[in-house]
Amino acid sequence: MIEFTNVGLRYGHGPEILRDLTFRIEPGSFHFLTGPSGSGKTSLLRLLLLSLKPSRGMVRMFGRDVSSLDQDSLLDMRRHIGIVFQEFRLLDHLTTFENVALPLRVLGQPESAYRSNVTELLEWVGLGERMDALPPLLSGGEKQRAAIARAVIGRPDILLADEPTGNVDPELSLRLVRLFAELNKLGTTIILATHELPLLDSFDFPRMTLSDGRVTIHG
Amino acid sequence: MAEAALDESAAEAARPPAPRRATAIVPERSVAGRTLVLLIAIMTFLSGVTLGGVVLVQKSAIAWSSDVGREVTIQIRPMQGEVMESNIRTAIALAEAIPGVTEAHAISIEDSQKLLEPWLGSGLDLSQLEIPRLIVVELGDPKAVDLSLLDRDLKSVKGATLETHAAWRQQLNTMAGTLVLSGVLVLALIVLATVLAVVFATRGTMASNREIVDVLHFIGASNAFIAGEFQGRFLALGFRGGLIGGLGAVLFFFLVAGATGSLVPEQSTAQLGFLFGRFSLGLDGILGIAAVVPVIAALTAITSRMTVRRFLSQTSGL
Repeated sequence: MIEFTNVGLRYGHGPEILRDLTFRIEPGSFHFLTGPSGSGKTSLLRLLLLSLKPSRGMVRMFGRDVSSLDQDSLLDMRRHIGIVFQEFRLLDHLTTFENVALPLRVLGQPESAYRSNVTELLEWVGLGERMDALPPLLSGGEKQRAAIARAVIGRPDILLADEPTGNVDPELSLRLVRLFAELNKLGTTIILATHELPLLDSFDFPRMTLSDGRVTIHG
Repeated sequence: MAEAALDESAAEAARPPAPRRATAIVPERSVAGRTLVLLIAIMTFLSGVTLGGVVLVQKSAIAWSSDVGREVTIQIRPMQGEVMESNIRTAIALAEAIPGVTEAHAISIEDSQKLLEPWLGSGLDLSQLEIPRLIVVELGDPKAVDLSLLDRDLKSVKGATLETHAAWRQQLNTMAGTLVLSGVLVLALIVLATVLAVVFATRGTMASNREIVDVLHFIGASNAFIAGEFQGRFLALGFRGGLIGGLGAVLFFFLVAGATGSLVPEQSTAQLGFLFGRFSLGLDGILGIAAVVPVIAALTAITSRMTVRRFLSQTSGL
């Protein structure tokens, strides 16, 4: 599903942040992406989200060389990838329902087409009673669950999560990762970036460790 | 009965919420709306006034040129040994013999006196003065009349010259053309200033909405969709500003027309009316100003869309 071959990344004329990344991620797998702060986890996630182009090497996703794709194909591919951020990045002027429905709204779907799906998903993540609440009125855990719901409402094949438990307490962190695990059981490929060791130790998923710009996979 | 009511309320609770009006993705307050509406209103007002002025000048010039073109004048100077009245009769006969001439008549001594009054004063007895006499020749179709033939024929009348007003008309047309061109230039500058103002406003809006743009990108929105969201917001602002400015311009012309009638002396009003058609825009002028409103609104929307697309192509990773 995802294949990196000798991928390197640098910003402008700066030093190479990611070097010779070569790995393969199978469909339906769950990987933790870990490493110290500044090791390039977010940059790797942005490469996977197709919001950055590698400086060198080859990235293949869904069986296609990403560098050979035109804008429309890239956009289409991006729609198969969901993302969750540490800082949630919900739009404060939209309700929880509207935030979660946003990926479907940008595809031009009318509300009548997605209303029941969004409602069902919000119930599933435990936000059934908070649909009309604006994000500033939600707790950290509620915001993150809303962000996860927004990332999965379009049924992505790959779900990327960048430190999704960074702003919640340890107990809620475990519950959130269990939620990701549930999604993984439903067939979604998950790459979850975190540097919280207790969390990593609580689950038996393979780890991609970034260090010195290089990646190693264990487990 | 009570059970049925309970079932109904349970079903109601389980039902997804009714469709509601979706909140705009680009919040209204995030766009520098009031300032931009005011700026667009001012630009539309200036465009409308300029356009109205151009319409007035052009209409007056066409009317003038047409009126002046339907007449030529024969001037007969007093000559030693010539009988003026006889020469006038000959000149009239020659003029009326030219195909296309509908009528020729001499201006009476009294009328000539009135024409000279502004320069020589009233109560003057022109019978004591030897002044040239004028014959007005009215043309049915100015293009069909061979004025060179009339000019040649008049050589047989001593002291007679033909005045076709060609130089006047030429000068009038040049002046009107210059004014129209200046108006078009001013309009072009106003449009340019509007475009630049909208570009700056859009850039400011994009910068303050960077988070929204980023989120839309992450969730798979196309650049066209994002640009459309901003364009819609700017189109609404453009329409609002355009409508205010357009109405202001039409009101301005009504007020000026009213003020000209009540503040300026009657004689001057008549002269102004002759020159500018009493500041009356007419239906075509009002329609012209009305057309400025959607043009400005569309210009605002297109400019903002292009600015957004440019911004997105520079910032998007794709």
